[in-house]
Amino acid sequence: MKTGIEKHLLHIENLSYHYENDEPVLKNINIDVNQGESIGVIGTNGVGKSTLLKLLVGLLLDYDGTLEVVNHPMIRENVNHIREHIGYVFQDSDNQLFMTTVGEDVAFGPINYGLPQDEVNRRVDEALRLTHIEHLRDKHVYKLSGGEKKLASIATILSMEPDIILMDEPSVALDPQNRRHLINLLNDLAPMKIIASHDLDFVLDTCDRVVLLYEGEIIADGPADEILRDKELLESHGLELPIRYYYQEI
Amino acid sequence: MSTIDNKLKAISNINTLQQRDQWVNHLHPLVKLLLTFIYIISVVSISKYNLSKMLVFAIYPFFCFNLADLNFRDAIYRMRLILPLVMVVGIFNPIFDRDIMLYIGGNVMANGEHVGGLAISAGVISMLTLMLKGVYAVLATYILIATTSIEEICYAMRKLHVPQILVLVILLINRYIYILGEEASRIMTAYKLRAPSQKGIHYKAWGPLVGQWLIRSMDRAETVYESMQLRGFNGEYRYVADQKTRATDVIYFMVWLAVFAVFRFTNVVELLGGLFV
Repeated sequence: MKTGIEKHLLHIENLSYHYENDEPVLKNINIDVNQGESIGVIGTNGVGKSTLLKLLVGLLLDYDGTLEVVNHPMIRENVNHIREHIGYVFQDSDNQLFMTTVGEDVAFGPINYGLPQDEVNRRVDEALRLTHIEHLRDKHVYKLSGGEKKLASIATILSMEPDIILMDEPSVALDPQNRRHLINLLNDLAPMKIIASHDLDFVLDTCDRVVLLYEGEIIADGPADEILRDKELLESHGLELPIRYYYQEI
Repeated sequence: MSTIDNKLKAISNINTLQQRDQWVNHLHPLVKLLLTFIYIISVVSISKYNLSKMLVFAIYPFFCFNLADLNFRDAIYRMRLILPLVMVVGIFNPIFDRDIMLYIGGNVMANGEHVGGLAISAGVISMLTLMLKGVYAVLATYILIATTSIEEICYAMRKLHVPQILVLVILLINRYIYILGEEASRIMTAYKLRAPSQKGIHYKAWGPLVGQWLIRSMDRAETVYESMQLRGFNGEYRYVADQKTRATDVIYFMVWLAVFAVFRFTNVVELLGGLFV
């Protein structure tokens, strides 16, 4: 990973955001995240999970409050530098994969950052190895299955060797085997991870900390096991217990 | 499978051809682009009455189809829409240009008049020449796109100092063709599933469907663009890693350049014919 970073990798203080002429989507968000942490951002539809992720990669910039990523304030001048440290996996893999073959797509980031060819090749090999899709290197993106597309999407950001990985609903459209595969993969990855998801079982399997959003505000922030066992908290904010706890309750 | 899906699959098949492990596919893209360009210029610059010169230019597509192991029938099928257009270009020449240019068979009388045989007018010759020009140009272009990816072609264009913005537009159009196609396919499928007895799309539904299609496509195109930005894209697209020119690239280029020059500036058919007369 990149240069040694002593402070929080991510520092969010009193962050608020609203789309043009609209009600605030996020209100007074405060989160600090350290290297290696894995955080699940949970909440019902429209609570601002995706907006939060977009703010973290600088796709939305006109926010109020403080947002520092890898010790740099998120302002237009810093966006390119910050993005070198962040990998963002879109909810829909079709939006992520735009090159002809998987290998070319995985190489896109390193090539665009001007890395030498040997380093590009090394990173592509490593990303494909980590995601166990070496055999898909020359396969046309158009011909991949849903699970393969998701793994290829993750490979495209792993080749950038990011310090932070952001994922928007990563378990959507995955069959049980690919879902398990993705959980194992995420648990083996060293970088800090922020996973926005409705799939609370998935969050439980991959995150040690959970942030519960409701109507744009943080309702709870703490250990995943603690928050995801709190039936009353979850149900009062439109969620349900993860299936494994739900059956324990019964 | 819907027509749109078939079209997308056809594009995907071209991409498969580009990725094959053929010798031609590994040639430097600049060499292939330049040769295609020079070939087309050589072919189109030949006089419209010089059919014999045109004939020898068939060697290039013939050689490349074999070298790249491309299927000629497949190529003709893929270009079935453009080839008739190309061939129609000179179709009226025989009507307007009736001067007799040559006779096949028959006898020449003492006064120089031709008796019997088949008279070929200048219009027929120019029609055939124009048709061949079109067919050769299309075949040469097909050879280029079947052996070179769009990224490599754009890379070669940048090497030739084609403006960045133009190259970028070509690349993005190529990206967004899929997006437009996929969105159109989804919308059509959704429509057909709820209008099973209808043939085609009812005219009243065209407005909303096209509107939806454009809005969704723009939305997706924007997300794809964001995805590119998040992986370091800032307008200066680096396409593919820098490719080194090898000796084989230079030799291949020089040999074809010499062949084109000979074909263009001498009449090989006449020279060969002279050997036997």
